[in-house]
Amino acid sequence: MNKCGESKGDAMSKVKAICRARDARARELRAEGKKIIGYLCYFAPPEIIAAAGMVPFRIMGRLGDDVVEANSYLEPYGCPYVRNCFEQALKGRLNFLDGLVVSHSCDMVQRIYGIWKYYQKPAYGYLFNVPHQVTPWSRQFFIRELAFFKESLEKYAGQGISEERIARAIELSNENRRLVKELYEFRSRRPSVLSGPEMLGILIAGMSIPPDEFNALLKELKMEVEGRSDVPLDRTRVLLWGSIIDDPRLYELIEECGATVVIDDTCIGSRAYFTRVDLSNGVFEGLADAYFGKFPCPRTDRGPGTGRFEYVLNLAREYRVKGVIGYTLSFCDPHKLDYPDLRDYLAGHGYPMLLIDDDYTLSHAETVKTRIEAFREMLAKGSASFQDLAGRAQL
Amino acid sequence: MEYVAGVDSGSTTTKLVVLRDGELAGQYVVSTGANSRRAFEKAFERALEHLKVHPFQIKFVVSTGYGRAGIHLANRTVSEITCHARGVRWLFPSAEVIIDIGGQDFKVIRLDKGGRVVDFAMNDKCAAGTGRYLELMGRVFEMDLETFGRAGGTGLEAVEIANVCTVFAETEVIAHISRGTEETKIIAGIFNAVAKRVHSLAKQLIMEAREIVFTGGVAKNAGIVGALERMLGQAVKVPFEPQITGALGAALFAWEDIIRRSQYESGI
Repeated sequence: MNKCGESKGDAMSKVKAICRARDARARELRAEGKKIIGYLCYFAPPEIIAAAGMVPFRIMGRLGDDVVEANSYLEPYGCPYVRNCFEQALKGRLNFLDGLVVSHSCDMVQRIYGIWKYYQKPAYGYLFNVPHQVTPWSRQFFIRELAFFKESLEKYAGQGISEERIARAIELSNENRRLVKELYEFRSRRPSVLSGPEMLGILIAGMSIPPDEFNALLKELKMEVEGRSDVPLDRTRVLLWGSIIDDPRLYELIEECGATVVIDDTCIGSRAYFTRVDLSNGVFEGLADAYFGKFPCPRTDRGPGTGRFEYVLNLAREYRVKGVIGYTLSFCDPHKLDYPDLRDYLAGHGYPMLLIDDDYTLSHAETVKTRIEAFREMLAKGSASFQDLAGRAQL
Repeated sequence: MEYVAGVDSGSTTTKLVVLRDGELAGQYVVSTGANSRRAFEKAFERALEHLKVHPFQIKFVVSTGYGRAGIHLANRTVSEITCHARGVRWLFPSAEVIIDIGGQDFKVIRLDKGGRVVDFAMNDKCAAGTGRYLELMGRVFEMDLETFGRAGGTGLEAVEIANVCTVFAETEVIAHISRGTEETKIIAGIFNAVAKRVHSLAKQLIMEAREIVFTGGVAKNAGIVGALERMLGQAVKVPFEPQITGALGAALFAWEDIIRRSQYESGI
């Protein structure tokens, strides 16, 4: 990262530099001879890619980017995020990727695989199958799928991938997870010191560089933010729930409205980092738990009951939020189908929920702000004080 | 005498309400045009002239509405949802639901017994079914808004307008015109389409409300009021000046701030 010209020890500016040019490190590594494997969604474990000696790189969109070319390949009534990601590929911004790994997380993501592979012709491609229900049989299926994925990578790498190497890669990313969780806990205690947009920036950076480099960066960050001093800011604590949010703009909007995201349930956020991979029963069992059994993405049906909702409620309690803001992308059925029940469930436990629906542009930022502000005012119950005061004024 | 002001900087009009010792002293509506700040200044000057006060006599200004952040004189901003709730409750102390249709957006707000906002819904980007839509439809019939509002007849005989999208609805309306359908029936159909859109957005919020208040510039349109009442199956109340409830709420918040400050200063 020396190229970016930051002074040493300024970890947050390193994060910002990575976010400004997410591909910079990947391009450097590629020039050194490494293979860069891009992935969409978080079901095919990046640890297996890392164990193959390659660099996993999470493909992201560009919020608000003009999607023109992708619309000639994909119907406009499909997921705006997937169209946006494909637009990045069509514009040549992802031309450093050697491979593409897509999991069947939702139908739109699954379908982009074929189109992407057909038109972009990556040297390596893998469509990772993920069952839609959690049962003992689907678990077995997932474990078999992990093995298929490993075999396919072995074939591409031209060498075997031992379980030890996978275990080592998992240990590295478990360290990522531990350090990220620590930052979340730190932020929960001192939200004015480490802002919501900064926190998201850190997570985005982590998905753009190799895990060992991310560990080093996280350790630096921890030292740096702990040395910062608190600012007296009284912001309403909220939980952010929703489809993919890979741009700090929404977090900024929320802070401009006097609220702050102290915890989230999104897949660039806590979903990806809060479930450790348990190695005690072997790597595949551990990966199946973390990436399938316990991974709280609404695309997996957990049958009757509210396991996933309880997970959100526990986060809300643990991080002492006042309310929940939901962000869904147009046509995101997995999240949208969850929303009405989730809203009622959370409201029943004293957590009001506001939903923002967007087409991955945030172009109606002003009306979004009005909603968030009104929501914050609603949570603060500001109007109550008026009545007390008016009563007293009359005395 | 203490003056405070509330300003609601909307997409189409800018509304200013001035309170004198907590009571309504004046209300001013100017069109926003291309510059919301200039529109505010115009309304402000009009108020000063009308009330014969100096700018410094206005102790506190609260701004709300789409352009709230651009009102340089404002001491504080409050979202229009909260302001509408405040303003409407001052006028109608037992209001439970507010339906506000403005120039480019519409919102439905549910209040609890104490007048606090418990839930709300707002349209997204699309301005279908708002004031702008009615303006364009009025233009198709070459009518000004006031004539247009009364041109739907009783509203009982209406054609079905399936689309509230401004572009598609216009096509639909023109198809009706060329078919020779009576004007009143088409216009009544347009009003029903607006009522339907509001109803479908906020069915759950409106459910079992004893008192519904309809505000915003579109509430001046008698045809829409009738269509809404038929759709909801109950009467809705419209304030004497439905456009200013947001600004009124902002002014009341400004007044609250003044009281709070004086209480603080006098050590209460």
